[in-house]
Amino acid sequence: MMELFLTVFSAAFFVTVIRTTTPLLLATLGGLIADLGGALNVALEGMMLIGCLTAVIVSVYAPWYVAVAAGLGAGALLGLIMAFFAFRLKADIILVGFAINILAAGGTVFALALATGGDKGTSINLQSKSIPAVDLSFLSQIPLVGPTLTAFLSGHSVLSWLAAFLVFAVWYFLYRTPWGLWLRGVGEYPAAPEAAGIPVNKIRTWSLIVSGALAGLGGAQLAMFNYVGFTRDMTAGRGFIALGAVLLGARHPVGALLAALLFGAFEALAVVMPGLFNDIPAEVIRAIPFVVTIAALVLFSIRAQRALAMRGVK
Amino acid sequence: MSTLPAIDRSSRFKTMRREVGRALGALVIALLVAFVVVLLTSKAPFEALNVLLTQPLSRPRTIGLWIDDIAKLTVTGLAFSLVFQARQFAMGVQGQVYVGALAATYVALSPLGASWAGIPLGIAAAMLAGAFYGFLPGIAKARLGANEIVSSLMLNYIAIELCNFLVRTNLPKPQAGVLTTNDFPDNAVFPTLVANTRIDLSIIFALVAVVVVWFALYRTSWGLKLRLVGHNARFAEYSGIKATFIMVSAMTASGALGGLLGSMFVQGQTYGKLTVLFEGGLAFEGILVAIVARSRPLAVPIVAIFYAYLRQGAQLMNIRTDVPAEVIGIVTAIIILLVSSSYSLNFITRLFRRAPAASAAPAAAGGAAK
Repeated sequence: MMELFLTVFSAAFFVTVIRTTTPLLLATLGGLIADLGGALNVALEGMMLIGCLTAVIVSVYAPWYVAVAAGLGAGALLGLIMAFFAFRLKADIILVGFAINILAAGGTVFALALATGGDKGTSINLQSKSIPAVDLSFLSQIPLVGPTLTAFLSGHSVLSWLAAFLVFAVWYFLYRTPWGLWLRGVGEYPAAPEAAGIPVNKIRTWSLIVSGALAGLGGAQLAMFNYVGFTRDMTAGRGFIALGAVLLGARHPVGALLAALLFGAFEALAVVMPGLFNDIPAEVIRAIPFVVTIAALVLFSIRAQRALAMRGVK
Repeated sequence: MSTLPAIDRSSRFKTMRREVGRALGALVIALLVAFVVVLLTSKAPFEALNVLLTQPLSRPRTIGLWIDDIAKLTVTGLAFSLVFQARQFAMGVQGQVYVGALAATYVALSPLGASWAGIPLGIAAAMLAGAFYGFLPGIAKARLGANEIVSSLMLNYIAIELCNFLVRTNLPKPQAGVLTTNDFPDNAVFPTLVANTRIDLSIIFALVAVVVVWFALYRTSWGLKLRLVGHNARFAEYSGIKATFIMVSAMTASGALGGLLGSMFVQGQTYGKLTVLFEGGLAFEGILVAIVARSRPLAVPIVAIFYAYLRQGAQLMNIRTDVPAEVIGIVTAIIILLVSSSYSLNFITRLFRRAPAASAAPAAAGGAAK
């Protein structure tokens, strides 16, 4: 047990948590934006997966930032496609989302086989690049706290810092700008903003595009930092966990951050625990994030129902 | 004799013609896209297309594979149809397949499995386990309002890990390191209907399931209530129907179908044992079958026939040519997108008619998001 505590409270574990949290956080913020606009984005998983593959393939031929931008762009494009079918052709948005997930599951393997010349499992024979880590080792020159600061703050992905900034940016956008108000209004009660002359579908379309872009960015982090290279189904349910994190985080950016951190911590535990406890089966550890999502979803739903009851809605 | 039934019938045929036309149109568009993709990527595109379109009929063995796929896609399509008709988006069929298969395996590998009761008990255990697994997200939604999409998806992953774990540690295996269980005794494996093919009792069970689901939905008061709830839950509630009870029971019944599919996998001729990750994503493809069939039980097997043919064609194309089978994922996605949207064959002209389309959607989208 002692070893577990030592591991959990070490700087290395903290860095691992940030690493596992970043893709989740980006996808969760994406899910949050779509959800607040009243469009449940169940395609986060597929968008992340396609973001992963796009980033990996582009990074073979271009610098890392172009690859990251390509992953982001691929996600945004999928968001646009989703909006087109859902709002212009009036398909059910959940079915559209699942169509995108199915497209991603099959399409990425297909594209991977083409790109690698027949390998349907991994992109191991592609020379893909990784996202650089931000080196803050100069901080250790600060007396007393310097080395600790370095251990905790140095070595994160560029996108981790971006994700942290995005939490603030999304909060500012949602609660301090008119467009954020419009977005929340559209999600809350679309008839009112429409009567006020606010273009409801345009806002929803943009929310899905941004949502896809963020999920694609999460995919790029996953395939260019957490792991370098693409393997089939490498998102492994992270998009769906992000969907749970949106609901768990009380549909607020800070809540999203906390929820993503919770799931990221469990994923990081799953990474370090097999080395510590040989008697806990790996399958149980891998299942932990999904069990936690359900437990969290149920707890949050109880709380939400109680709040509704207190306001006398039900 | 009034004219009412006549009108009803003619409009019903009109609706049917429109739905069939829409489904076939989507199929044609999706195939065209697939052809273009194959043309662009394959070194021998025409050979690949030829394999895709003709080879499933080439031999008794491939026909058997096709019919086996029809049986499985029919059952998963029915499972999705049931929940879709109640306007629930439970996506838990995959998890139900795994727990159902586990339950069937425990029965088959117990002393009971070698007795005459191996098949019926295996199926019963699988359906019970699946029903329980469908009930969980249902009750969580009804009592607590927990989003059924997210909870059912999480349960899928948990079921897969549970299956991996039990196969690795708890179930008897032929040798160390392999991830399959011992072969089931003959009494627990569905007998073949045609020798040396995979055509077994599954197809009979699938057809029985079609009739049962059709009867339950269209000839019982439960089915009427279920369809009312799916149509307008609030109206159903006002007219005295316990909407939450209907939702939960629909998801439980759908779970039983998912469990049945699990037993068809492990007790069928395909395996006759439990293997990790045995279903290969087939359970999710019931979404396509249910959508194209517009959740109508009698249309489900017809859609399954077409889609199973494509699936088998893609598998053979994977083996015999340089085109990976996963190209079928693109076809699937396009068909779902086109059929679930209110597209008609002249939708290209509508793309450029901007203004009217923009106003009506929010209500529909808002309803879907809740």
